Amino acid sequence: MSEGGSRGDLLELSGIDTFYGPAQVHFAMNLEVRRGQIVCLLGGNASGKSTTMKVILGLVKPRAGTVRFDGQDITGLSTPAIIARGIGSVPEARRLFGAMTVRENLLMGAYTRRDRAEVNHDYDRMLGLFPRVAQRINNRAGTLSGGEQQMVAMARALMGRPRLICMDEPTMGLSPLYVDRVLELIAAINKEGVSVFMVEQNASLALQIAHHGYVLRTGVIALSGPAGELARDPRIRDAYLGGERTAA
Amino acid sequence: MGAWLDYTINGLIVGNIYALLAVGLALIFGVSHLINFAQGSIYTAGAFIGWTCAQRLGTPLPVTMAAVVLGCAALGVVIERVGLRPLAGSARIAPLLATIGISFVLDQGLQLLYSPDPRSLPSPLPAWRIQVGRGTIGALDILIAATGLVSAAVLFGFLRFSRLGWAVRATAQDSEAARQMGVNTDAVNRTVFAIAAGLGGLSGLLVGMYYNHIDTAMSFQATLKGVVAQVIGGMGNVPGAIAGSLLLGLTESYGVALFGSSYRNLFAFVLLLIVLVLRPNGLFAGRQAMSPEPLTGTFIAPSRPWDVPRWAVAVCVLLAALLPFLPNSAYALQVLTNAWLYALLAISLTLVAGTLGQVSLGHAGLLLIGAYASALLALDSGLPVWLSIPAAGFVTAALGTALTWPAFRLRSHYVSIATLGIGEIVGLVILNWESLTHGPMGVTGVPPLTAGTVELDSPQASYWVALAVLVLLGLMQSRLLGTHLGRTFRAIRDDDVAARACGVSLDRYKGLAFAVSGFAAGISGAISAHLYSYINNETFTSQVSVLALTMVILGGMGNVLGAVIGAVALTGLPEVFRFTAEYRQLIYGLVLLLMIRFRPQGILGTA
Ligand SMILES: Nc1ncnc2c1ncn2[C@@H]1O[C@H](COP(=O)(O)OP(=O)(O)O)[C@@H](O)[C@H]1O
Ligand SMILES: [Mg+2]
Repeated sequence: MSEGGSRGDLLELSGIDTFYGPAQVHFAMNLEVRRGQIVCLLGGNASGKSTTMKVILGLVKPRAGTVRFDGQDITGLSTPAIIARGIGSVPEARRLFGAMTVRENLLMGAYTRRDRAEVNHDYDRMLGLFPRVAQRINNRAGTLSGGEQQMVAMARALMGRPRLICMDEPTMGLSPLYVDRVLELIAAINKEGVSVFMVEQNASLALQIAHHGYVLRTGVIALSGPAGELARDPRIRDAYLGGERTAA
Repeated sequence: MGAWLDYTINGLIVGNIYALLAVGLALIFGVSHLINFAQGSIYTAGAFIGWTCAQRLGTPLPVTMAAVVLGCAALGVVIERVGLRPLAGSARIAPLLATIGISFVLDQGLQLLYSPDPRSLPSPLPAWRIQVGRGTIGALDILIAATGLVSAAVLFGFLRFSRLGWAVRATAQDSEAARQMGVNTDAVNRTVFAIAAGLGGLSGLLVGMYYNHIDTAMSFQATLKGVVAQVIGGMGNVPGAIAGSLLLGLTESYGVALFGSSYRNLFAFVLLLIVLVLRPNGLFAGRQAMSPEPLTGTFIAPSRPWDVPRWAVAVCVLLAALLPFLPNSAYALQVLTNAWLYALLAISLTLVAGTLGQVSLGHAGLLLIGAYASALLALDSGLPVWLSIPAAGFVTAALGTALTWPAFRLRSHYVSIATLGIGEIVGLVILNWESLTHGPMGVTGVPPLTAGTVELDSPQASYWVALAVLVLLGLMQSRLLGTHLGRTFRAIRDDDVAARACGVSLDRYKGLAFAVSGFAAGISGAISAHLYSYINNETFTSQVSVLALTMVILGGMGNVLGAVIGAVALTGLPEVFRFTAEYRQLIYGLVLLLMIRFRPQGILGTA
């Protein structure tokens, strides 16, 4: 498992070309997530952010390029196989199993795991980490508020004990209170050693907690660098900061 | 009163049998939004596996039941793998059509294996009956009820408490999210097909013992009943499917009690239509029910149709018109006359299924209306045949449109199910409306084709009449496709929401398309009636509707010339190769499967 362990990159996308039918979404995209970091992918609407996450998860297969996870090529693997290697997903719009209870949703997150006792331990840990979730544990997930659902989605992804967690616009549609809470939680999760790849439209929010950022513009990485530098970069200020959803 | 208790018990028992069929359909629909039209064929396969075990190998009942469940489950896995998984990415109607193809192949395979003759499948259980109130219950009734209950309980436990069961539920709610949790959705599909097939086969075995009768023709009705029960309970709703099945069983049983057994299916299909129109999510959909499932995507593979030059078409028509002058052409004339009449049906269907995107499975009903209208107008009202045929066209246009009108608000799969039900209802009304239609006796002595005083009953004349009508209506339909009207039809097919937003009245245009379609189908049925001289309610069955759809797909949906080619190919080629009737169904099924898989745009391309 760990030839790549000595190197810094946990996830590495290189030369990715993606298409939907004839329409090209990514053009020779390169991107890395270093071990232990929070990396955010910024970009406007329809720039190809969600598709990037789908490429990582194997839901969309790139026509060219490779995805490496922990040093190994996972480009051709099925989504379940990729998940089983230690990637967790918080999909766009959360995508909870609405008719199942919160508890069942969390346990679905541990679907690939066989270590019953450890799963139970993680389950208790999630209830501690997300008290709001604990209160609603026997409710159907579909009846929760947007913020609560986001918590469940994050807890569900963590139940798989991922080494990398991928999140697609985790703050979208949340009240300001929940936005802050979610950002704090992402930072906390990262402190526990989980690397984070996070897709966001709202650059100012994401760069608050990220270590490194990429800016995607119509399928091309237009800018990248440490989060602090990006936040001060006038080009990104022009293009993205103060986007319609800035929370202050 | 005692009789009513018996009818209730009978209704519940039959409902249990339907439930075993419908639960599987609901599971499959839940995870893959597919209506499995092969379910009835698996049910028949189950009955025959059971017969082989019990009658040939002499196995005891528990072993027979286990063999049926395992054998059918294996069959279900094979169907999923070979017939459906390759279609995972295509429009949703594609796998539905594939299951129809699979059902043809399975039914005919069974018929070749076991011959079409019915067999008896006696129940090995003791023949005692216990008195309950004033009704009675037999050992087999108890077995069927127990099988239903135990299956439901096991299924409930599986879905609620097992890892794979959770995966099934998660996939049903959001398959992409389930995959992101590491669920292998292919495995889920396979599991669900295995369960559905196992229960479906068990249902076939129990029915066979209940009526002490099995034959290879019982598939289609079984599929229909399972689908009806599932629609009543709400597509994809497993508990709903059970409740819907019991309700269907009771409704049929009471209907039979009140009106006689020929009304059984009429009650089933009328119930289907009522539920589809009033509660398309089923009777038990609560507030948290899914919004009416969009199921968008008609079976239109985008393609550029072949541009066949006009002179080539003209030359073909001319050659066809000259064929009767060839010596020894009698057999070819007979085959081709039939082909032209099927082509008429196919251009009728391709207008609504291809151009308008409403995949109708009820065109046999239109043929029946046309055939009966012309036959009865000529026989009972004394109208000359050359008038009764066009009159039948108009009657069919009007009646067909009026009958499908309730289905206009439905989309995609639901249109197919509703029209299938409507087609069945037409046949059943004809069967039961004796004062008008002569009922099960059929209509004998339908006068031959004439025009004024000219007798047209020679094979040559019939051939020319059919060809001329086809050319005329075919040309008119081709012209229509190029007009504003044709473009509007295609706009509705491609995006009905957008079309409506542009101010297009969907009902009016759908009505118009069904009227034009009904006219052509009615004429086809009418001419057939005068050629056959005898018709009854089973002259055109839903199998004909499916065959017509196969022709349309083969030629290219919406493509008029393609429909003609599809019809000629499917009626003519089996004759050329002198396939016997059993093999023909097999070929239709394989053609359907192969076209959907490898050339969904058809021979000439969609238009
Ligand atoms: N399943 C799909 N089929 C076809 N086109 C798609 C599909 N999903 C996304 N697209 C298109 O690809 C482009 C990128 O989409 P996406 O990755 O969702 O962007 P973002 O997440 O940055 O808003 C958009 O133009 C979108 O319309
Ligand atoms: Mg997105």
